[in-house]
Amino acid sequence: MAFLEVFQYTRQDSLIHRLDPRAKLVMTISLAVISLLFLDILPLLVILIILIPLLAVAKSIKRWLKSMKGLSFLLVFILVFNTLLSTTPYPFNHSIALVLRLVALMTSFSLFFLTVHPDELSQALIQMRVRFEFAFAMSMAMRYVPTLGQEAYAIMDAQKARGVELDKGNILKRIRNIVPIIVPLIIVSIRRALSIAESMESRGFGASQNRTYMDRLHFRKRDWATVILSLICMIVTIYIRLYIPLPSWGIPF
Amino acid sequence: MIIMENVHFAYDGLYTALRGVSLQIDDGESVAIMGTNGAGKTTLVKHLNGLLRPITGRVILDGVDTKHYSVAELAREIGLVMQNPDHQLFLDTVEKEIVFGLKQLGFSNEEIQERYDRTVSTLGLDGLCGRSPFALSGGERKRVALACVLATEPRILALDEPTIGQDANQKEKLAEMLRDLNNRGRTVVVVTHDLEFVIENFPRTIAMADGTIIADGPTNSVLSHSEVIHRCSLTAPQLTKAAQSLHELFPEIQARLTLLTDLEQEIVKVLGGA
Repeated sequence: MAFLEVFQYTRQDSLIHRLDPRAKLVMTISLAVISLLFLDILPLLVILIILIPLLAVAKSIKRWLKSMKGLSFLLVFILVFNTLLSTTPYPFNHSIALVLRLVALMTSFSLFFLTVHPDELSQALIQMRVRFEFAFAMSMAMRYVPTLGQEAYAIMDAQKARGVELDKGNILKRIRNIVPIIVPLIIVSIRRALSIAESMESRGFGASQNRTYMDRLHFRKRDWATVILSLICMIVTIYIRLYIPLPSWGIPF
Repeated sequence: MIIMENVHFAYDGLYTALRGVSLQIDDGESVAIMGTNGAGKTTLVKHLNGLLRPITGRVILDGVDTKHYSVAELAREIGLVMQNPDHQLFLDTVEKEIVFGLKQLGFSNEEIQERYDRTVSTLGLDGLCGRSPFALSGGERKRVALACVLATEPRILALDEPTIGQDANQKEKLAEMLRDLNNRGRTVVVVTHDLEFVIENFPRTIAMADGTIIADGPTNSVLSHSEVIHRCSLTAPQLTKAAQSLHELFPEIQARLTLLTDLEQEIVKVLGGA
């Protein structure tokens, strides 16, 4: 579960943290689109080389490395299985590209989720004319990701204490061992959802139609600059991808 | 016999929860662990069955360091009932739930049936066996979780806050059951905030604060100590308060008492009776 940490807000004071969430959304989507445009090793490496300094500006390199370590098992899995099963002429080349693309996509989205506080996100959505209830649901969902993780660990502990051997046995047994974890997790989540709903209603959620907000988001020069730069990068890359024939940089394996 | 030697533990290596805990619990003892929220009580019991491993220090079970055993292996010897029953119940009937743990530990079918019947009758769960654990009330779920562990009849039983959500009657039944297990030679360790429950049922109390043990000894002397009461943010037992008031009037009466029989004796002495 460690790889999820890269999608969890961390309180920092950095240039990227201070940007307007809407500007960051445009930036993230542009980066993600750019990553999806290519499936070759070299361009994806270039994208990663651009992304990593951005993470450094957001002071989150350590966290990113930790998540990538958590993800490494899955990455190796993707690499091995795609190399073995792929029908493309150079399966190894193709698998490396797939892995790089996944990392680039995760990193682009992590730039957003690492630096946007759930409250900011819901405020941004509201100012983008999303209905308050939906915006609230969205930020609640983000808020409860780490709680769910903690809950999962507590459940694993409780089952281990009953003698369930979670990390022993063949793959079938291990898959079956997920049941004692996932069922309580779902039940506990439903129970909590119900009780949160009740307590929100008792505190007057939805009582007034016209909500006012203490903090409103304002677009500044740097936010406009981010948006414009992101869009230019995205459009230029799309143009290059569509109209300029690129040489093949792949490795012939 | 459990021995903890200077156990230190910090969550994620950062948030210190235990700073040098040493204790010894002999076979057949009945011990209560008390302390403020965040004193490290739950962290401590999770060290007993290896769910948490000490950063420095050792936990020794019957002369062998527990680091040599997996949690599942330790679960045969040490049954731990956690605070939240919802973290362990996952099957569709109470019966399956209780049998599950027994199967995990590899008992024969006859043995399973026998233990199941015994547990169900002691805990008064007869009416609930066919029902889904998720449809039960909080207190009932708690008892089912307890039954799952009790059925395995571990040599050492550790309970984390077992009295929460239980009415006086259920609490009394629980106490009776723990006494019975203890009389049959099982070691019982209970984490609780329930002062009366401890005074009535546990001869030994360990008081914790800030990740250390601040007092360890006979319950009536630990819990009548005003500093312990204060640092564990407990209210002194009513009987101790009464004894203290009486002590001010009649210095012959001891101030540090927790048991009704002791106070009665003192009063009789003051009144000149035999």
